[in-house]
Amino acid sequence: MDIELLFAAAGQILNPWPFFLLFIGTSLGILVGAIPGMTGAMLIALTLPLTFYMDPFNAIVLLVAMYVGAISGGLITATLLRMPGTPAAVMTTFDGYPMARSGKPGRALGLGITASFIGGLIAWITLATITKPLSIFATKFGPFEYFTLIMMAMVLIASVSEGSLAKGLISGLLGMLISMPGVDPATGMPRLTFDWYMLNGGLKLLPVLIGVFAVSQIIKDALDIGQVPERIAMSSKGMLMSAKDFMAQGVNLIRSSLIGTWVGILPGIGASIGSVIAYTAAKNMSKTPEKFGTGSEEGIVASEAANNATVGGALIPLIAMGIPGSVIDAILIGALMIHSIQPGPTLFLTNADIVWGMIAACLLANVLMWLLMTSSVKYIAGLMYLPRSFVLPIVMVFCVIGSFALNNTMFDVWVMLIFGVMGFLMECAKIPLGPFVIGFVLAPLAEEKLRSGLMMTAGDFSPIFTRPLPLFFTILAVILLLWPIVGDWMRKRRASRK
Amino acid sequence: MNLLQRFEVWVSLLVILICLVFLWESWDLPPGSFEPLGSGPIPQATAFIVIFCAGLVIFNALRKPVRLSEDEETKERPSISAGLIISLATVIYILMLHFRLMPFAWMTTLFLMITIWSLEKFEKKKILPALITAIIIGFASEYLFTEVFIVDLPT
Repeated sequence: MDIELLFAAAGQILNPWPFFLLFIGTSLGILVGAIPGMTGAMLIALTLPLTFYMDPFNAIVLLVAMYVGAISGGLITATLLRMPGTPAAVMTTFDGYPMARSGKPGRALGLGITASFIGGLIAWITLATITKPLSIFATKFGPFEYFTLIMMAMVLIASVSEGSLAKGLISGLLGMLISMPGVDPATGMPRLTFDWYMLNGGLKLLPVLIGVFAVSQIIKDALDIGQVPERIAMSSKGMLMSAKDFMAQGVNLIRSSLIGTWVGILPGIGASIGSVIAYTAAKNMSKTPEKFGTGSEEGIVASEAANNATVGGALIPLIAMGIPGSVIDAILIGALMIHSIQPGPTLFLTNADIVWGMIAACLLANVLMWLLMTSSVKYIAGLMYLPRSFVLPIVMVFCVIGSFALNNTMFDVWVMLIFGVMGFLMECAKIPLGPFVIGFVLAPLAEEKLRSGLMMTAGDFSPIFTRPLPLFFTILAVILLLWPIVGDWMRKRRASRK
Repeated sequence: MNLLQRFEVWVSLLVILICLVFLWESWDLPPGSFEPLGSGPIPQATAFIVIFCAGLVIFNALRKPVRLSEDEETKERPSISAGLIISLATVIYILMLHFRLMPFAWMTTLFLMITIWSLEKFEKKKILPALITAIIIGFASEYLFTEVFIVDLPT
């Protein structure tokens, strides 16, 4: 770890303007996380146009702070409304809500906030220590290594997404297909433009993102507008964890944080999966598993430590290899590219200040999140009851502005609307949206690597099977692809034997 | 078939249609000069796999009709009218912005006023809060974006 560079980046963030952005980012993230139906991905996608004219360092500080804040803010609604503010907080509802309902909302929130902080801290230590060695290792990757890694990531994302493997693949590959109109990365000639000049530059990430994540969510939320949440009276009693609590939850905290970090590192898997695995592990190893689902402290700690740990974990493949660890990381890749910064293993060499800024922002935002949430969660909780009839149209206006601002063209606004409707329909059919966006971001890179590899080998595909890393990634992808089918077949066989 | 399965079938058909359009467009792309693939095969292969997966989803939906779980059956009915209101109002708003029929601030105020009030089921007591919110957001957003963030607006 380059301590001096890290300190320099942290020092730069502590200057008034970057610190103000860090504060605003973390606060907005928490607020958005606390408003049901609004997500971190939505906030970051909508904020992206505002960062066009910012210094890249400040822009990244703002976006990373929003990421940390939004993942943490989701626990407030999960605990007080049994409605996860962000998908990552879904496991917190199982124990946070029953505990809050039994008269201990402060205790439930306090456990969640501190667990989030510890989870974020442990993931940050991993982020700060292993990212650079991993990026040095990744510089040895050739085009076939990259291509097979991306393919493996796509299969992994599809196989762990909500719904079936087929739906995950539809989403990821459709995202890839939609990214292909425009200039061919190898020949520089336009393709799949349907003789329409507006498509010569291809479909831009930002309107697609805003459409898929924000507009579709607005339509979905409008359909649920009649639902009135049950209110739980908020109190701050028991908000801070005692030394006894740390002793009791120590192992659970560390285990869940490590699980979250590891899941975050795996390309394309978000915080939701991390918290599900950590929650299940905590339940399996608990002395009182029967308490899970009824207000268990272990359940809240496991879920929150893991989901916040995925943030730091997911930044590792982004910085080291240019592969997004989650949907929000895919947006961050878009943000880097908008600022003419190419994500990937050479990022440490070309833009060391940005990388260390990202790492330092992750730590500082985590500390700020803990301070803000423990001191003002009582007031933030009031936001949960904002009437959706007012919030949704306002967010729609910001979606229109955000899409238009990219190129000052209404074409992007129509693209946003079309992808919003498409995202909504996909959600109705339970086709996950995460793989779509990750496929959209990764497809140009995958195609470019495959075709440049084929140029180097004069059209020979064999390095995929003869070089160790591409072979390893390919075998892993095949196993991941076949696992659900084999697992299903084995389950049926076992059932028929019984 | 339950509602989810109906959605699965129709959305998969839509996905297949999109893939067919891409396949049609990619058919005449020239072969590569420096590598064997060229521009066409990758979109074609991707579209074929998506069509296969969408076919699988349709097949599964048609093969085994599944009853909804108790939770889903008792779930509150969605407010279709609210979904329609916000979708239609947005289309009209974007159309009007497209043809620049009014300045952005006025257009946004009108959009917010109508949408908020209709989502509140045209309750008389909600007129004033809707109007105040619409005016503040409409004009403040124009000022904020054009003067502070220096972002152009469709105005």
